[in-house]
Amino acid sequence: MALLLSVLEQGMIYGILALGVYITYKILDFPDLTVDGSFPFGAALTVRLITMGMPPIVTLPAAFLGGALVGVCTGVIHVKMKVRDLLSGIIMMTGLYTVNLWVAGTGYVAIFNRETIFDNDAVNAFFPGAAGRLKTAVIILLITLGVKYLLDWYMGTKSGFLLRAVGDNDTIVTSLGVDKGLVKIVGLSIANGLVSLSGCIYAQQQRSFEISIGTGAVVIGLASVIMGTSLFKRVTLLRVTSSVVLGSVLYKGCVALAMFAGIDANAIKLITSVLFLVILVVSMDRRKGSLSQRRQHIT
Amino acid sequence: MKKKSLAAIMAMVLCTAILAGCGDGGKDGITVGISQFAVHGSLDNCREGFLAGLAEEGFVEGENLTVEYVNAQADTGTSAMTADNFVSKKVDMICAIATPTAMTAYNSTMNTEIPVIYTAVSDPVEAGLANADGTPVGNITGTSDALAVEAQLQMIREILPDAKKIGIIYTTSEANSISTVASYEEASPKYGFEIVTTGVTAMSEVPLAAADMATKVDCITNLTDNTVVSALQSVLEEANKANIPVFGSEVEQVRAGCVASMGLEYYELGRQTGKMAAMVLRGDAKASEMKFEVISEPSLYVNYAAAEKIGLELPAHYAEDAYQSFDEILVH
Repeated sequence: MALLLSVLEQGMIYGILALGVYITYKILDFPDLTVDGSFPFGAALTVRLITMGMPPIVTLPAAFLGGALVGVCTGVIHVKMKVRDLLSGIIMMTGLYTVNLWVAGTGYVAIFNRETIFDNDAVNAFFPGAAGRLKTAVIILLITLGVKYLLDWYMGTKSGFLLRAVGDNDTIVTSLGVDKGLVKIVGLSIANGLVSLSGCIYAQQQRSFEISIGTGAVVIGLASVIMGTSLFKRVTLLRVTSSVVLGSVLYKGCVALAMFAGIDANAIKLITSVLFLVILVVSMDRRKGSLSQRRQHIT
Repeated sequence: MKKKSLAAIMAMVLCTAILAGCGDGGKDGITVGISQFAVHGSLDNCREGFLAGLAEEGFVEGENLTVEYVNAQADTGTSAMTADNFVSKKVDMICAIATPTAMTAYNSTMNTEIPVIYTAVSDPVEAGLANADGTPVGNITGTSDALAVEAQLQMIREILPDAKKIGIIYTTSEANSISTVASYEEASPKYGFEIVTTGVTAMSEVPLAAADMATKVDCITNLTDNTVVSALQSVLEEANKANIPVFGSEVEQVRAGCVASMGLEYYELGRQTGKMAAMVLRGDAKASEMKFEVISEPSLYVNYAAAEKIGLELPAHYAEDAYQSFDEILVH
């Protein structure tokens, strides 16, 4: 039961990260490695604000805005200074390591006895007694759903259309008289804002910050995006944003399953990569069909 | 079609692997879940000591004790899930080895009855696991591996009567290291030393930092810094070139070529932890009421081969006083 909750909680937290990765990787076609830095950045900012005594609810918008600023920096390095996409992410990721240490103060910060979005008087009053075990999962579910619907809504606005167009066919964007560089910067800032928000929630769920939590974040994000979009491609009821979040829950589920079954922890990475391969191979088989199906995952 | 059958085969292999892992032992007796943060000589010694300590108190693995051991491979996500997994399996106790796993184990067990016993946590107060007076913040207690800074300085003074500067290389992200550097800086004037520090952020920076350090100081002393210890051989190489000694912080480092150390025996630390765990398992004491413990007396370790390599003479009485001495350098 606790493990199942843990999978749901972690899966949905990383689902928000995966939504960010989805914007850069699938929509903008931009392999953004900033993620490994912006995820702990959100966490660092959060523990800093909480230890300063700020009300926990403030950390959510603060982390999003902080992450958005980080995304703008990556965008400016790429678009204005004409550094290649992969490199601009690496530069930001490396620099953020130091920034994160500055922001958090040290490499480890514990916030066990502080109020968090999951543990404060208002929330505790709302979930009395035995329901308390579910409160973290419920709150995360609400936040993740909120983020998903906001993103769905945004994709339908003019700005969202332009974002999708830049990744697909940027000549169209230019012919509309819009600066495609600017659109990319906006996309990167939203993406990293989401990643940072995910780090913010993670730090509060774990009640601690650790400098290395960002290592491999981009891989988890990519795996979730690819698992989600390939497995649920046929399920027309699901929007792609939901598939991405489900992909993330599934990813964490696989790790937990392997662990629960008592498989040597050393082997878990190999098992996940085999599983990953299986899913890719199976979904490729289906894709052979028509071109229209192929396009489905973009729109 | 080929691809599909290939995928099917891979899926089957995976399922078999999962099932093969399933058949764990009976449910009677006591189950302890050990969550260790990384594969690391000292931490492994700690775990062995812990099991030995439990065995001495009558909890023998395989007889009346089932042990589930998970190593998080230095991944905090995995360590969080390990702790949740132990909670859902309703183990009788979680033993957390190293600070990050202790923190995640405490987080996961907060609303349960499962006690957590930690070990190899340098600063339980800083990590939020204990109050300033050593009492636990929850149903969690254990042992700390804080370094015996004063004893180490005293030993260095005895070996090198004319030395002035001690170099320390540490990782800026490791909280343990930062607090130990601070205690070195505080204690050093008493012994007439000046501490020179260099911070690094990754293993790849250690050789450069060591080369630079070796030209500036009279000797180098190590912390239990995970990154620097992993790159110990490059530190030793640079120090040997400059003909200055390197002092270790625990036995494994002395075995691998440090001259001497007033350090912790992690096996002993683990044993002490195992005895604490036994008290909790028997119901003699509650984890929530026990203060965390430290090893009171550090032990002296010397490596004569390492001293000879740089032409250093160790005090004669070390032959008797050393808890353990080595005549060769063992690099593994």
